[in-house]
Amino acid sequence: MTDPEYAHPDALVTTDWVAGHLHDPDIRLVESNEDILLYSTGHIPGAVHIDWRSDLQDQTVRDYISPEAFAALCAKHGITKNTTVIFYGDKSNWWSCYALWAFRLFGHENVKVMDGGRDKWVAEGGDLTREVPKYPGTEYPVPAKRYDDEIRAFYEDALKQSQDRKPLIDVRSPGEFKGEVTHMPEYPQEGVLRGGHVPGARSFPWKRAVGDDATFKSAAELRAIYETEAGLKPDEETVVYCRIGERSSHTWFVLTYLLGHKNVRNYDGSWTEWGNRVRAPIERSQ
Amino acid sequence: MLPPKLNEIIELFEVLSDAEKREMLISYADGAKNQAPRDGEVFDLEDVRKDEECTDTVGVFLKVGEGSASHFRVTLGSQVQTLTRAMTSILCKGLEGLTPQEVLDVPADFVPRIVGADLVRQRSQTVYYILTRMKSAAKVWLNRQRALAESRK
Repeated sequence: MTDPEYAHPDALVTTDWVAGHLHDPDIRLVESNEDILLYSTGHIPGAVHIDWRSDLQDQTVRDYISPEAFAALCAKHGITKNTTVIFYGDKSNWWSCYALWAFRLFGHENVKVMDGGRDKWVAEGGDLTREVPKYPGTEYPVPAKRYDDEIRAFYEDALKQSQDRKPLIDVRSPGEFKGEVTHMPEYPQEGVLRGGHVPGARSFPWKRAVGDDATFKSAAELRAIYETEAGLKPDEETVVYCRIGERSSHTWFVLTYLLGHKNVRNYDGSWTEWGNRVRAPIERSQ
Repeated sequence: MLPPKLNEIIELFEVLSDAEKREMLISYADGAKNQAPRDGEVFDLEDVRKDEECTDTVGVFLKVGEGSASHFRVTLGSQVQTLTRAMTSILCKGLEGLTPQEVLDVPADFVPRIVGADLVRQRSQTVYYILTRMKSAAKVWLNRQRALAESRK
């Protein structure tokens, strides 16, 4: 059972709930991973695979796919405008939160995350299959707009946030924030020239929002971190960033869905844009 | 020039479709656990790294035997990516018996021929990770040998 004190407790489902709804025609399970072959090694029965890079991103412009391509992606996986899409994946649900955020960019409202992600499902002995499901195609309406203004921040937005000293949350590891490293050690990296953080940003690593089993902390614990300690206010404009936007999607989900903050935007260009950008100011700290 | 054992594996992959390549990679990934050190094995070099943020532990173990023949073993944490597991199996087999210098000289451009251009494009760093670690181990071993030779002069 998820914490009823979350602002939107229905945005999370448990592994037990998923196990009991595998044949529910109104939901679609979507697995999104960092490990590109992981889905093919076995996935929750009925789950489809959406890759953050090949499915959701434009392949020639650093941006997301077009509304037409999004509609086609949903149609291919049998998703209608009314389908409740439940995301889960590896890496403590980083990429599932990223995919959920991308779905929200296109205005798909019925979205949830399976708390604890793929690792929890596997640890509990949940069924896995290598059978790739086929769903009848749907007529998903082409979204009239993309909600970039509402939930996405660009470089200029992050710069203004920095200059105005408004809340800017860096969710990377402390070493990345301090500028000691430019990527996570031993991690497949997207190159960046300089280490540090956006001036004025504060360090609240994504990991603080979850327990050892990758499930989200209680509403009270999250409030203590983000509202008491970080001082974020539910109506205040907040920008979150990391290195390429996946870990900050996780924190965006926490702030938006679990704490009910209304003006949170994810700066998906993140450090790989800021750290490489000519004349972008940076700060380093101990 | 690629080493014969590695070339055999490359030729096996090259005739496969992208879907078949992925299946073969998963099959190799399943075999990666067989590349872990056996009880009693002793190595010249052990390089075990752990990153708390996300990547699991990867340990590269190098034994250089008679005729400077390299023998790699690799330990992989449970969260290590499937592609990394697959490349571990492939490289432990493909580089077996090469000298450390020959390991260093293996060109990295064979990787797309195994995993396919699509996977390289999407996960460009992941596919080269184990090769980089093995080359790093070979380089450290060579540097130690050179330093040892210098000290004996």
